[in-house]
Amino acid sequence: MTLLELKNISVHYGRIQAISDMSFSVEEGEIVSLIGANGAGKTTTMRTISGLLSPSAGSITFAGEDITRMKAHIRVVHGISQAPEGRGIFPGMTVEENLDMGSYGRKDRTKVSDDLERVFDLFPRLKERIKQLGGTMSGGEQQMLAIGRALMSNPKLLLLDEPSMGLAPQFIRQIFKIVTEINNQGTTVLLVEQNANQALARAHRAFVLETGSITHRGTGKELLANPAVKEAYLGVG
Amino acid sequence: MSTTDGPTLIPDDSSAQEIADREAKMRRRKGWFPGLSDKWNALPRQTQWLFLIIVVVIAYLLPILNPPLITTEPGNNWQIALAQMSVYALIAVGLNVVVGYAGLLDLGYVAFFALGSYTSAMFTSPDSPYVHIPYLWTLPLAMAVAMFFGVVLGVPTLRLRGDYLAIVTLGFGEIVRILATIIPAMKGQVGFQNVGHPPGTDSAGQTIFQNSNGTPWYWLTLSIIIVVLLAAGNLERSRVGRAWIAIREDEDAAEIMGVPTFKYKVWAFAIGASVGGLSGALFAGQVGFVNNQKFDIATSILFVAAVVMGGTGNKVGAILGGALVAYIPLRFTAIAEFKYLIFGAALVIIMIFRPGGLLPARQSLLAYGRLAYNKLRGINGDIPASGKVVLQSGKGADK
Repeated sequence: MTLLELKNISVHYGRIQAISDMSFSVEEGEIVSLIGANGAGKTTTMRTISGLLSPSAGSITFAGEDITRMKAHIRVVHGISQAPEGRGIFPGMTVEENLDMGSYGRKDRTKVSDDLERVFDLFPRLKERIKQLGGTMSGGEQQMLAIGRALMSNPKLLLLDEPSMGLAPQFIRQIFKIVTEINNQGTTVLLVEQNANQALARAHRAFVLETGSITHRGTGKELLANPAVKEAYLGVG
Repeated sequence: MSTTDGPTLIPDDSSAQEIADREAKMRRRKGWFPGLSDKWNALPRQTQWLFLIIVVVIAYLLPILNPPLITTEPGNNWQIALAQMSVYALIAVGLNVVVGYAGLLDLGYVAFFALGSYTSAMFTSPDSPYVHIPYLWTLPLAMAVAMFFGVVLGVPTLRLRGDYLAIVTLGFGEIVRILATIIPAMKGQVGFQNVGHPPGTDSAGQTIFQNSNGTPWYWLTLSIIIVVLLAAGNLERSRVGRAWIAIREDEDAAEIMGVPTFKYKVWAFAIGASVGGLSGALFAGQVGFVNNQKFDIATSILFVAAVVMGGTGNKVGAILGGALVAYIPLRFTAIAEFKYLIFGAALVIIMIFRPGGLLPARQSLLAYGRLAYNKLRGINGDIPASGKVVLQSGKGADK
């Protein structure tokens, strides 16, 4: 079943077009990766899906419902949750307060503790540090917190914007492992990455973005083997 | 696993952890009273209440005690000074909701103060040709008027952020002052005399709330401050309060957590405005005279300075900051002329040595999450060894 569908989406910042006529879909249960260089429109795509930006043309459908004009805070309730670029945690709040904010929009509060348990299972480190201020944690921990916080709304679709940004290779591997784990638990994942190697290896399907439009599409493995992609994004060739 | 992972000479989990710990420790802020708020929170509820009651009793007794050294006499009447300090403290509490909780820099807060003053004056002063109502009725009316204009200003401008919002609010502050000058009904510099006061006479038949007697005004304002503080405290701990803090910390992140950011920003603006209107009405009553001279930009900046000085986001700090801003020029009359110079210097010094203000804020924001954590703890037994967490878990239980 198609969970998310973008149809002919265009996004403008003032007069500058960041995304032009983009269409793609995400099926339920998949990991889909969007890869591309700086300025290709990856983050813009993510912010459009989560509702922080509104498209100038086109439509977005989520779980069969048109959400093009829906406000971001309502999309969360419908099941779209984002771990923003640059982690975007609340620096002055402790780990537990950050996670608590993640469940802000929820109506079914009795289930919050189940999700908390799930987050602590995925990231035991967070449990050790529940009283620490978010802003004083290391980059890797902040990324864990951002993902954990996004999971606290029990989303159908998890949007991860560059989870590997600025992290040690050590943490990158761990984060991607956890992304697969989250997906195995039944959450659909849309991933935006510059780290093409990992992103393609983990993805069921992937898209390559260049200056606001999709230039290649296919399964993760196909794109990993694609000579053009290899040369441009994998540093081989 | 893949080629981009690079050599494996990088730190393993435990050493990366050590580095992170060390960095976190270095980043921890040192205050004048390290751990004071922790100690306070660790006290049992009864002790906290007892302590608060003593502070409140002392606050009520201040006009009678007239403590030497602290008193503003002989330069200024101590009771009237107290009344003015309490009005400034109330202003700071209201502005703290806007600037401190929601993080919206409002440089035109004086406008709401002015609206409150004028509401009170125009409905009670004999100089005003309009309907006259009892003074006490003008207090809720002033709140309503200020709140209305807070929403009117907020809805179009709160889509702006940071500096832009500050500029627009600055403009609004000026608009109200200039309107007071050019609209004939608001009587410009001539103003309104003999603004009303609460009813009541003492045993000798004298009016209790005289302009020359600060004590009853101080007690009235202090009582209102206590009520507003209780309300603000409840708001702070509510869903609304947590939403405000989240907006202050990161607006986009708050929005994608499901916080209707725009709505809550307008709320903060409206609530702040209503407290500003209330303090304006009290000020008008106590002074007994309102004209367009008291509501300039400098006053507005002074309000912001009070909040920042006291500790942005801390309501007790705001009271302290507001009271200090009014107190210093009254106590040290010799330097009153240079008050802005001194406040400027004081702010610079405070920002260097105490960036969070005199009493930095540290809210506890958990709501229903706490239930979840306690339940989790019950399921999984103790939290894994980490002295710090274990220490604090005892504290969490009695909250």
